[in-house]
Amino acid sequence: MTKKITINFTVNGDRETREAIVGQTLLKFIREELNLKGTKEGCEIGECGACTVLLDGKPVNSCLVLAVELDGKELTTIEGLSKNGELDKLQQAFIDHAAFQCGYCTPGMIMASKALLQRKPNPTDQDINEALSGNLCRCGAYQEIREAIKASTKK
Amino acid sequence: MLTYDYVKCENLKQAFEQLKSGEQVFPLAGGTDLMVGMRGGKFAPRLLVDIKGLEELQVLKEDDAGITIGAAVTLNQVALFEPIIKHAAPLAEGAHSVGSYAIRNRATLAGNICNASPAADTAAPLYSLAAVINLVGPEQKRSMPIEEFFIGPGKTALKKGELVHSVLIPKPYPQGKGTYIKASRTGSVDLSTVGVAVQSWGDRVRIAVGAVAPTPVRALQVEKAINEGGEKDWAKAASLVHEDISPITDLRGSREYRYHIAEVLIRRGLEQTMGV
Repeated sequence: MTKKITINFTVNGDRETREAIVGQTLLKFIREELNLKGTKEGCEIGECGACTVLLDGKPVNSCLVLAVELDGKELTTIEGLSKNGELDKLQQAFIDHAAFQCGYCTPGMIMASKALLQRKPNPTDQDINEALSGNLCRCGAYQEIREAIKASTKK
Repeated sequence: MLTYDYVKCENLKQAFEQLKSGEQVFPLAGGTDLMVGMRGGKFAPRLLVDIKGLEELQVLKEDDAGITIGAAVTLNQVALFEPIIKHAAPLAEGAHSVGSYAIRNRATLAGNICNASPAADTAAPLYSLAAVINLVGPEQKRSMPIEEFFIGPGKTALKKGELVHSVLIPKPYPQGKGTYIKASRTGSVDLSTVGVAVQSWGDRVRIAVGAVAPTPVRALQVEKAINEGGEKDWAKAASLVHEDISPITDLRGSREYRYHIAEVLIRRGLEQTMGV
C-alpha cells in the first residue's frame, strides 16, 4: 500500500502543502509532483550531480533525499533563479560563455555554482573545482563553466 | 519504488520505541548510504526512523571533555569546525575527502562509521585521534574506543535498537601535527583505495590505515618502531606496515598495490607531521 504524508515547504519562494509518497525521492517529487522538469535525473546514486537543488540554501543531491524530508524546508530549483522573466546573471553567463553542449548537467552545475557564489563571492579555480567536484559534464565543458562562473561575478 | 513507512522523530524515546517495533527498521540521518543501499537492494526497510531533527544529536561543541560531534552533524560541519581543524586535522581532512560538497551537506560522521566500511574516510582519522564513540539505547548509555566499535565490513558493536549518540575527540589533544592522505581513483566521489591518518605529538605518533583489512587498523609495528625504538628513518619505519595489514584485491586496487601504497602514504604522512 502506498503511504502518503502531508508536508509543508517553500519552493522557489512559494509556500506549498502537498501529499508526498513515502519512498519517493525528492528528485521524483520535484519532477512529477511539482512538475518542475529543470532538475535532471542522472545516476540516481549521488555521483553525477545532475539533480542538484538547494535545500535551505545548501546544495544537495535530490536523488539521495526523500520527498517527505522536505517538510519544513526551503527548496530552490533551477526554475527559481530567474526573476520577472530575466535570467539570473549566472544563467546568462553560462549562455554567453557557451558553458555547455548538451545542457543536461547545466541545471545541477548552476545550482552548485550558485551555492558556491553565496559562500565565496569571488571564487578561485580551485574553489570552483572543489565545489563542482560532484557535478559531471560528459561534454567536457569544464573550462567554459569555470569562465562563466568567474565572469558572472564581474558584471 | 520501494514501499515502507517513515516516522520523523521528536525525541530519542520515540526513536527507540520505533526502532524496536519490528524487523527491518533503519535509523535515517543523512541517508546518503541508505538511499543508495535501498536502490541497490542492499537494504529493504519496513520503516525508516528519521532522527536528524533531534536537537541533542545536532550538538557540535568543544568543552572540557574535548570535541563532541552529534550523530546528526554533517561532514561539511565537521570539516569546517574550527576546533577540529586546529586540534584534529586528520578528521577535518578525512571528512573533507568524502564524496562531494553536496554529499557532505547530507552525510553525517556517525553514518560514515555506522556504515562500517573499512575504507570509511573518517574512520582512520578517528583511530589516529583515539576517538570515543558514545552509544545510547532505550535502557542505557555506553561508550567505547573507536577500535572496539568497528568489528568487520558493515559490522559494528551497535546492538539492536541502539544508536550512535555522538563521537568524542577527547582532551588532552595531541599537541602536534596531523594529516589524512588518501589514494583514490578520482579526485573526489570515490572511496579510498588506501587512506592513512597520522597524528604526531612530540616525537611520538599514532597511525591508522583504512581499506587494507576488514576494519581500519592501527599501524602498530610502525608506531612501535618510532615511539619505542626511536626510529627516525621514516621509510624504514613505514615498511613495517606490511606486518599490520592484510589487504585484498578489488576493483580499486590489487593486494600488492595496497601494500605498496600504504607504505608510501605512511612515509609521506610521517614526513609531513614529523619533518623530513
